[in-house]
Amino acid sequence: MTVIGERVPRSDGQTKVSGEAIYGVDYAEPGMLWGALLRSPVSAGRITRLDTTAAAAMPGVHAVLTAADAPDVHAGWVLRDQRLFATDAVRYEGQPIAAVAADTLAQARAAAAAIVLEIEPLPAVVDLVRAMAPDSPLVHPGWESYVPAAGPDFPRRGNIAAECIADPPGVDEAFARAHRVISDEFVAQRQYQAYIEPKSAVGIFRDGRYTVHTAHQFPYNVRDRVSQFLDVRPSAVRVVGHTIGGGFGAKLDASLEPYAALLSKVVGGSAVKLVNTRTEDLLTCPCRENALTRLRSAVDADGNILARELEVIADNGAYSGEMPWLASIALHCARGVYRCGPTRVVSRLMYTNTAPTGAFRGVNGTYLYHAVERHMDHIATELGLDRRDYRLQQLITDGAEMPNGQVLADAGILREGFDAVESVAPWAELQAGRRPYRGIGIGAAWWVTNPMPGTAVVKLHEDGTVAVITAATDNGSGAVSMGVTQIVAERLGIPPTDVFVTMPDTDVAGFDAGSQGSRTTRIVGKASQLAADEVVEKLRGVAAGLLEAAADDLEVADGTVRVKGVPGNSIPIAEVAVAATNTVGPVQGTGSFVTPFPDFNPGCATGLMFPSFPTPTYHVHLAEVEIDPVTGNVRVLRYVVAQEVGRVISPDGTYGQVMGGVTQGIGYALHESLRIGEDGRYRERTLESYRLPLATDIPRVEFVPLEHPDPDGPFGAKGVAESPVLLPAAVIANAVSDAIGAPLNHIPIIPEDVLAAIQGSAGDVRSDEEVAP
Amino acid sequence: MSAVELTFTVNGRPRVVEIDPAETLLGVLRDRLGLTGTKEGCNEGECGACTVLVDGLPVDSCIYAAAATAGRRVETAEGLTHDGLGRELQAAFVAAGGVQCGFCTPGFITTLVAVLREDDKPSEEDVRTALAGNICRCTGYSQILDAVAATISGRNER
Repeated sequence: MTVIGERVPRSDGQTKVSGEAIYGVDYAEPGMLWGALLRSPVSAGRITRLDTTAAAAMPGVHAVLTAADAPDVHAGWVLRDQRLFATDAVRYEGQPIAAVAADTLAQARAAAAAIVLEIEPLPAVVDLVRAMAPDSPLVHPGWESYVPAAGPDFPRRGNIAAECIADPPGVDEAFARAHRVISDEFVAQRQYQAYIEPKSAVGIFRDGRYTVHTAHQFPYNVRDRVSQFLDVRPSAVRVVGHTIGGGFGAKLDASLEPYAALLSKVVGGSAVKLVNTRTEDLLTCPCRENALTRLRSAVDADGNILARELEVIADNGAYSGEMPWLASIALHCARGVYRCGPTRVVSRLMYTNTAPTGAFRGVNGTYLYHAVERHMDHIATELGLDRRDYRLQQLITDGAEMPNGQVLADAGILREGFDAVESVAPWAELQAGRRPYRGIGIGAAWWVTNPMPGTAVVKLHEDGTVAVITAATDNGSGAVSMGVTQIVAERLGIPPTDVFVTMPDTDVAGFDAGSQGSRTTRIVGKASQLAADEVVEKLRGVAAGLLEAAADDLEVADGTVRVKGVPGNSIPIAEVAVAATNTVGPVQGTGSFVTPFPDFNPGCATGLMFPSFPTPTYHVHLAEVEIDPVTGNVRVLRYVVAQEVGRVISPDGTYGQVMGGVTQGIGYALHESLRIGEDGRYRERTLESYRLPLATDIPRVEFVPLEHPDPDGPFGAKGVAESPVLLPAAVIANAVSDAIGAPLNHIPIIPEDVLAAIQGSAGDVRSDEEVAP
Repeated sequence: MSAVELTFTVNGRPRVVEIDPAETLLGVLRDRLGLTGTKEGCNEGECGACTVLVDGLPVDSCIYAAAATAGRRVETAEGLTHDGLGRELQAAFVAAGGVQCGFCTPGFITTLVAVLREDDKPSEEDVRTALAGNICRCTGYSQILDAVAATISGRNER
């Protein structure tokens, strides 16, 4: 009996529904103190006065720290451009300037508020284009002194935090002989991950080492960042993970952890806890970056794309985080999934006086696919072609070579995706059923499964159950509580309820690259499968003596070790485990896995830090929308997804990721937006003004999984969770533009823009007369 | 502020606690009674993670004065584990994939207990409307609605 592809309840489900689960914000230590941060109220300025005397004398206060109390070092995930506390300059609203530890949270916050802080404001660098101008103020006048966290330096200068440029021959020639040149410009705003659990951390300094308790997607990255900021070697930091209340990329880099650790050291080892208010969390979260994307295509009379130029300018915010690695994703998305001649790509990441941006599910891809798929609609419309037919005509096929030289052996799956969507929502029927203010949009994408390393130990207990020791995190997706659990159960022939996966602890479990890029089921699942294989081998070896059979003739199944083909000749795993413990020693297995980067052409671009897309998957989405011409509100009536998933390990988990990712994409398309004022400060500051999708907003997604098992993945699994967010903005924007008969190229598509578009194109809106009888 | 004594019932047990008069119900539940199953997501009554029942009605405990619960009945996620309907909903959430990160889940289940006690067969549209004060960032709500549907049909079978 298999548990792969079966509906298995998640192992952490009951503790979550009953309120027993201990999240980061719930974690407490005996005698724990509370911390609070003083954060910059302005986006750009120079600190002229910082006096902590009065704050330090307030009731209950144990310590007040500023830059003078922290090691004189710079830290950072990719580039070491950050200090723990602002020293002279402040570069974004919310930047930490001082930290307090006190007996209670209220005392800590009161003391932080009592610190005397004076800042001479400076003009904020906000506009992405102006930031590039030679006369723009520099966010980091000392940018040349920064060094990468590892490896060689990368293209960057002044306010340009990273740059990736591909300039193949033949682009200008193709534009010169084009039948038509189609140009578009797209604007995308920032999106807040808005996990419901705000960030928190508990730090403890004991026995010369730091221990940090946190609910985090990537505990080993916290270890590294704390070690950088506090200037100790990585092994001097232990990170213990707790149940995580959502992350979506925002909990991949350290946040409050180094402050909690340093405060604990300064107060003499008492645990210190920090927790963000929702506003602190929103203001300082590494949100999805805003970006400006320009696309130009040279097309012939049939719509073949002879050449293309894509320029994207994305906002890095004041410090770099993970972002420089991601600038080259523009190269991989520049053609979308369509045939295209030489493609020039210029991708720049700009420093600004705004909160540092970072990873959010579908990094960079959401606005790049929005641009590419809106542009495809534009070309089709200009040439009088049906938008779906045009895509099918230009769709890449097996063996397609992408701009980075990567060859996609299985890109033909895309056509299968279009067919699957067609079977659920036939395009011609949707067109025939058109009504006023209704529109449809379609789009497609390819995407990566994060390849980074992971490891697991499978430890057999003498009762026949197993523990899986790993630093992997279940961020809610079920990748651990279902995926890894099912994979180990399947391999060992035991029920999933007999598999217990540990919470992350960097003192115990080996390196894991965290819950990112849909990697956990595939990478940690594969590592766990290999570890379970070792357990199986050991069980067969010991059982061979007990069953008086050759080990090669034995199999592990149904909770037993048995002779193949002789089901009666078997012995329970538990008995083998006990026998093993007393003869050869306790049984455990170890597995490690990493996906190699697919071959690419290193000369295709400069600044190619994310060189290719390992374990690619393919995606086709369709949306039908209805617009209220009075209010300008857009309602998504239908949403269809066909997605290549390798193999479904957990149907509930897979659907949950598709449904949840599409929902975040609908929010991104229609209303979620952290708007930046001219002063560099966000306009939205709470969940009241930052509107999230509600139960009343979202239709059930119609989902068709496409299974093409990957021989390298555990039971064929590829990444699933990240990609559903890639296309909603694209296909909804296409659908709204279709409904109105005018292009809407800025996201989110807010009611004011819809109304303006309706008024601006009154003659183009489909009226009742245009509907076929 | 001088402390005052609050006498109320929490999950069926009479409790007496010293509180500050301005304290929220959420603060009293989490910090004084250790009932951390009720979550703080926004502290402004937007997200619904802190939903508890006061005399059977759902409230956002983060903006609800603890003092206002004097002499009243408070139910939290922990207590609903011992309630027939609460247990059914909890099991249905797990079975239907209605739980991902789970941080919002206690608030959802609490709201839904109140809804289904009032009307044991609400339409999906009614359920969606009733849940408009609870934000889930993970699931997109469909599997939560599946869990509610399963609970409704399970009850009707008996």
